[in-house]
Amino acid sequence: MTSKEVLLSLKDVTITFPKGKGVFTAVREASFDIYKGETFALVGESGSGKTTIGRAIVRINPVAKGSIEFEGKLISEKLGMEETKWVTKSIQMIFQDPATSLNERATVDYIISEGLYNFHMYKDEADRKAKVLKSLTEVGLLDEHITRYPHEFSGGQRQRIGIARAMAMEPRLIVADEPISALDVSIRAQVLNLMKTLQETKGLTYLFIAHDLSVVRFISDRIAVIHLGRIVELANTEELFKNPLHPYTKSLLSAIPMPDPILESKKVPLFYDGSEHDYSTDLPSFVEISKDHFVWANGKELESYKKILKI
Amino acid sequence: MSNANEKFQFVKIDEFASEHISAPHYSYWKSVFKQFFKSKLAIAMLIMAAVIFSISMIQPLFSNYNPMASPDISDFSIRFNRPNLTFWFGTDHWGNSLFDAVWSGARTSITIALLATSINMGLGIAVGAIWGYNKVLDKYLLEIYNVVANVPFLLVAIMLMYVLGPGFWQLIFVLCMTEWLSVAYFIRTQVMIIRDREYNLVSRTLGTSAVRMISRNILPFLTSVIVTMLSREIPSIISSESFLSFLGVGLPPQITSLGKLISIYITYYGTYPYLFWIPVAVLASISVSFYIVGQTFADASDPKTHR
Amino acid sequence: MERKVILSARDVVVKFRVRDRVLTAIRKVSLDLYEGETLAIVGESGSGKTVLTKTFTGMLESNGFISEGKIFFEDQDLVQIKNNKAWEKIRGSKIATVFQDPMSSLNPIRTIGTQITEVIIKHQKKNSKEAREIAIDLMDKVGIPNAADRFNEYPFQYSGGMRQRIVIAIALACRPKILICDEPTTALDVTIQAQILELIKNLQKEFGFTTIYITHDLGVVANVAQRVAVMYAGQIVEYGTSHEIFYSPKHPYTWALLSSLPQLGIKGEKLYSIPGTPPSLFYEVKGDAFAQRNPYAMNIDFEEEPPFFMITESHFAKTWLQDPRAPKVELPSAIRDLHATIVKIYGKEGV
Repeated sequence: MTSKEVLLSLKDVTITFPKGKGVFTAVREASFDIYKGETFALVGESGSGKTTIGRAIVRINPVAKGSIEFEGKLISEKLGMEETKWVTKSIQMIFQDPATSLNERATVDYIISEGLYNFHMYKDEADRKAKVLKSLTEVGLLDEHITRYPHEFSGGQRQRIGIARAMAMEPRLIVADEPISALDVSIRAQVLNLMKTLQETKGLTYLFIAHDLSVVRFISDRIAVIHLGRIVELANTEELFKNPLHPYTKSLLSAIPMPDPILESKKVPLFYDGSEHDYSTDLPSFVEISKDHFVWANGKELESYKKILKI
Repeated sequence: MSNANEKFQFVKIDEFASEHISAPHYSYWKSVFKQFFKSKLAIAMLIMAAVIFSISMIQPLFSNYNPMASPDISDFSIRFNRPNLTFWFGTDHWGNSLFDAVWSGARTSITIALLATSINMGLGIAVGAIWGYNKVLDKYLLEIYNVVANVPFLLVAIMLMYVLGPGFWQLIFVLCMTEWLSVAYFIRTQVMIIRDREYNLVSRTLGTSAVRMISRNILPFLTSVIVTMLSREIPSIISSESFLSFLGVGLPPQITSLGKLISIYITYYGTYPYLFWIPVAVLASISVSFYIVGQTFADASDPKTHR
Repeated sequence: MERKVILSARDVVVKFRVRDRVLTAIRKVSLDLYEGETLAIVGESGSGKTVLTKTFTGMLESNGFISEGKIFFEDQDLVQIKNNKAWEKIRGSKIATVFQDPMSSLNPIRTIGTQITEVIIKHQKKNSKEAREIAIDLMDKVGIPNAADRFNEYPFQYSGGMRQRIVIAIALACRPKILICDEPTTALDVTIQAQILELIKNLQKEFGFTTIYITHDLGVVANVAQRVAVMYAGQIVEYGTSHEIFYSPKHPYTWALLSSLPQLGIKGEKLYSIPGTPPSLFYEVKGDAFAQRNPYAMNIDFEEEPPFFMITESHFAKTWLQDPRAPKVELPSAIRDLHATIVKIYGKEGV
């Protein structure tokens, strides 16, 4: 079970990118906490800012406003060498595309050892080799694979190499950026199972970024839905599926194709374009409408949501 | 009946069996050489280049060739002999064997080309890699480059040679003076293309240092590009040197090069054409063979051609 | 009810020359396409689904060739067409394809309008004024707002979903008989995907073409398909109506595909996953290609290739499990009552 200890905390994080003479705001005032041991899903479509948040957490993107704290310490600002080392070891990332996220000209041995080399996380050569082999077998690959090159593997195997690489650092938080989107459907289950197993055996915490709500239902404890840089709803998984409040969440849910012909023939997809909101005078904010269920709404909408929840 | 039943018995599958990769281990360099030796032309050119290289390094040690003197200044019969069995390439205006002259010249030309290319490539790659990797450095170096690159090479070369005076090392200096920056610029551009690819982002999240990023993540991908450059650089330097020598700038009288020979013998173009054409042929052979070997090697070192 | 067959592939074998080896991408596939239907071809990458449909439009890569088989379409054997000029009469005008990535299907430096009219002028012999009218009408039909104004814009001015609509418009410009959609929505967001699928369905009703969907997404299949063909390692291993494939599948690979869907996952339990990877098609496959990864594999699967066994008139499966001598195997529990399971997990209407 997940404890209530906060591992990662985002407070009003805004991330911008330079665009021409001005800026493009990719993420607006995102706030959420991730508890130790849980799987927190961040779901949105392309351009929603979900990947940007993930990259800001591993410090690839800088944060314009707001703060990111890990284990109570601020990590969204410039850090000294010791602290950078600590963050790099504690927070790792799994990337989306196994075809481009591995160094094609390096052996699996080097790829998995890269982090170990950087911080000299081993006693001697034998120890390092042992760590690499352990990482490999943990993800279901074989000893003989260490001298091979990425292109000799299938997509699913490559993704597992990427996972082994992140695991070798013995992190506490893993940001998984759409880890199964680029994989064949029959391989997705394999990787999801692997991630679950690793979580159980190592007590990992995941930030699972995805565009597919149906996938995260299976794996996540809590879900945040993000649209055009703004988190519009955040709730426990079952609660979100049972009582979706924000119209964008509802449209996202209705759009997922179900592998059930009878259901699909009866389905009526809901379209969302943002026009149903009137934020001219009644400004919205991120409100906890019921226990652990947050939604981005103004006063009027909150009233109607409360009626739906019957509270 | 029992046979049919046996056929329909369930079999336990070995889950790890399908993880096993049955293809033989991929070795980058083995594949490169295998790919290279598929081209018969490249092999032929390689042999030709090796032969020319060997002869030009060894032959002058035994030839006692002196470009400034004649073996017998008074003997007019040894001058301008057409190629025959005694003098395979014939003799020149002083009675010197063209065979000796050509290989002595080739030795100089090749040595200069190899030395100058090594310096250009070495310096150029080192600077170019850092230039391309560091965004701040790029801003400044780009400005410098835009100015320097627009100064015509020949002008600079001739000016410098007049200032420095003729000499083997002076010539090499001049040939490197401007060229290394072009190499650096080219490498910088290539590095910038690769720098932001996803696997490099990954390395950054793993805390990989800039030095290691350049040596393990970026340079290995530039092998093909670098070899292509090499294949162009060597012939290019040879021709620059030849041209400078042809203009009479660069080498002192006691050292000869193919370019110098051509500049001396061009006056006999109409009367004793062999004096002109044979050095030209040797020069062309060196250029072409190095170029083709280099190009083929460059293609072979591109991993996309292996699979 | 007699339905007309408009395309019939018989025992097609397709090979590719790669370096010095030969890859057999399609290993004897037969398929009938009925007029007006929507057929989905499902399979993972490497199964051959895209290659198969490329043979219908003569778009095999230069190192690929059809070594055996026939493909009958409109009294012609498409396999016999050797030159590109003959293919131009069919490709685009009778059989059109919509590909996955709209950006690479559209020419970035020409206006949207010209890309549509070009096809109309070429195949329908209309002049540019008539073509423009037809094009704007088409753009309207595929849901581009202010079509007349947007006629002269460039692809980069359109969003991903809009571009895909234009690609569909171009494909339909010549009223083809068959529309092949190769993963048309994989690169799009979920909400846009739903709209595009809806659009294609409506256009099919209006224009009356036959659709082939190539996809690996079983959710999309459930949404659009009347009949489904499941491909594995270059062969069709099972085909039937949509209901038959989802609710009473008979091939272990189909079971594995359905069972491994994350949508069916139960929190706290492992998802069913297929171990290993498909076999290399550089080598000849002995027996059943799925045997090595099949939890229900039998000795005979490693020795002899199974034939198609008939389950109903419309439902066939290529597995020894259907042989009367084979032990009776129940559907895996996860998918035994698919509809009920999904309704239980997701509530009655899927939301």
